[in-house]
Amino acid sequence: MSEFLLNIDDLKVYYFTLEGIVKAVEGVHLKIGKGEALGLVGESGCGKSTTAHSILRLVKKPGKIVEGKIWFENEDLLAKSEAEMRKIRGARIAMIFQNPMTSLNPVFTVGSQIAESIKLHQNVEKREIEEKVLEILEKVGIPSARERMKDYPHEYSGGMCQRAMVAMALSCNPNLLIADEPTTNLDVTIQAQILDLLRALRKEFGASILLIGHDLGVISELCDKVAVMYAGKLIEHADLATLFKEAKHPYTQALLESIPRLDLETERLRVIPGVVPQLINPPPGCRFHPRCEYVKEICRKEEPPLIEIKQGHTVACFLYGS
Amino acid sequence: MVERTDSNEKTEVYKPSMASRVRVVWRELRKSRLAFAGFSIVVFMVIVALFAPIITPYEPTWQGPSRRPPSMQYPFGTDGRGRDMLTLVVHGATISLYVGLASVFVEILIGVAIGMFAGYFGGLIDDILMRVTDIIMTLPTLVLLIVAVAMLEVRSIHVIVLVMGVFGWPFMARVVRSEFLQLRESTYVEAATSMGASSWRITIHHILPNTFSSIIVIATMDIPWYIFYEATLTFLGFGDPSSASWGVLLEIGYYHLGTHWWIITFPGLALFFTSLGFNLFGDGLRDALDVTQRGR
Repeated sequence: MSEFLLNIDDLKVYYFTLEGIVKAVEGVHLKIGKGEALGLVGESGCGKSTTAHSILRLVKKPGKIVEGKIWFENEDLLAKSEAEMRKIRGARIAMIFQNPMTSLNPVFTVGSQIAESIKLHQNVEKREIEEKVLEILEKVGIPSARERMKDYPHEYSGGMCQRAMVAMALSCNPNLLIADEPTTNLDVTIQAQILDLLRALRKEFGASILLIGHDLGVISELCDKVAVMYAGKLIEHADLATLFKEAKHPYTQALLESIPRLDLETERLRVIPGVVPQLINPPPGCRFHPRCEYVKEICRKEEPPLIEIKQGHTVACFLYGS
Repeated sequence: MVERTDSNEKTEVYKPSMASRVRVVWRELRKSRLAFAGFSIVVFMVIVALFAPIITPYEPTWQGPSRRPPSMQYPFGTDGRGRDMLTLVVHGATISLYVGLASVFVEILIGVAIGMFAGYFGGLIDDILMRVTDIIMTLPTLVLLIVAVAMLEVRSIHVIVLVMGVFGWPFMARVVRSEFLQLRESTYVEAATSMGASSWRITIHHILPNTFSSIIVIATMDIPWYIFYEATLTFLGFGDPSSASWGVLLEIGYYHLGTHWWIITFPGLALFFTSLGFNLFGDGLRDALDVTQRGR
């Protein structure tokens, strides 16, 4: 269909709760090319994790993908059976999670868990599995891996757990790695190490990465392109340099000003007043308008379409375009 | 931190040997004196039960002078028919421990299966299974057992074991279910799903092992209950008269209660200490098996 590895087209994911329908993802389009790294940014509760989970079809009840298409290597993931999805999960698309300490099963050794994912997807002999586990653990920088592979997750530090998760995710050479806020629960130095690791592995394995986060600083360390989500909608999409230099959407601008930077002399960091709206009853018109300082009359009534203002730079805001 | 002692063993390298796990639990267990005392009693009882014919001075059927008080020759005295009470109590241990262990085995089979299905699949399956569990739980166990055993009309120790196990699983099922409910939402289950594991594999391979410690603890604590219930059934005349469990001995002792105290005392003490031992051991195991507490 296209040269893109992953192509999300008009994805809508709703949660059917007792209080009402939560429109967590409302018409998101995303494309990731081969070997590309895309950052998906937004505040908590704006639908970025739901989008990521949709790719692997892991949206939990009462959530449901109600519309859209997800193309991966020219195959329609939403048309696959559960059994076919299982073959894709871990083998062609892998995911790492926010809480490294709880992402590993406490009753098995780290090595045996990585071995399991290899056994699930690859036909490798027992003896070779052991070597593979060792090799991959060494690659993600676990010191004295031969001994540490026999350790239980609680004997690992948070950073090491995340390294082990990365090892597990990469053990079957996936083409796409989804990283759902992989550094959020780690302290800053470990955060930097994990990002370095992901960057190095991206070069070596050539996998595309979808990095989800709320911190543009973290995203900028790894990604070539950035998509910004707000309240279930995609509001801006550009390559990294463009976004940092000339962000168009007021929300993106505000996000950028809320990153601490050494090169700019600002007294205080920007705080965006208010919170992400409830998605059961989103505000009419542009969903950001109650928090937007440039709000116009039209913003309250109509939803801004996503328009391309420059090659590869799209934004959904009435301040731009016609 | 846990010491790594198994680096030279020839098992698959990434798997911890069973021995090292047992070693860790053992070390935790020894920290508590009560737990260790419980463990010692249990081990002692198991040895006694296994080697009953070797330990005992007489055959269980041997008859000497009747109603003798404890002496050097008959440490626990003799009963109304002249049988040596020490011999009977030791042989009773074999039967009573068999009753406890076999019933718990039945309980685990049923309870874990039901708890597992209810907890993992939830919804209607969960509702149906849990209402059945509630119903069995609300019925008075002893009455239920008496009715069941009386209806079956087979006076066999194995039938009693089966009946007790069949009615004994509700608590086990509830605990396993609640653990499954909690664990199926855990991140590592999500992570395993994202790696392509099937729901069957997740149930058996990822969640079930995490419930083992609860299962072992409940099973250990339930063993004395089954021994008690069997003794009670026997005492009330619904037991298996051909197998001399502690219940049978208590029943014999009851007839001599006013005049010959030793006949009921020693089987009673054996029952008491066994129960105490399993309870202390179970308590200690609960602390020792708590994986996340380890290494602090």
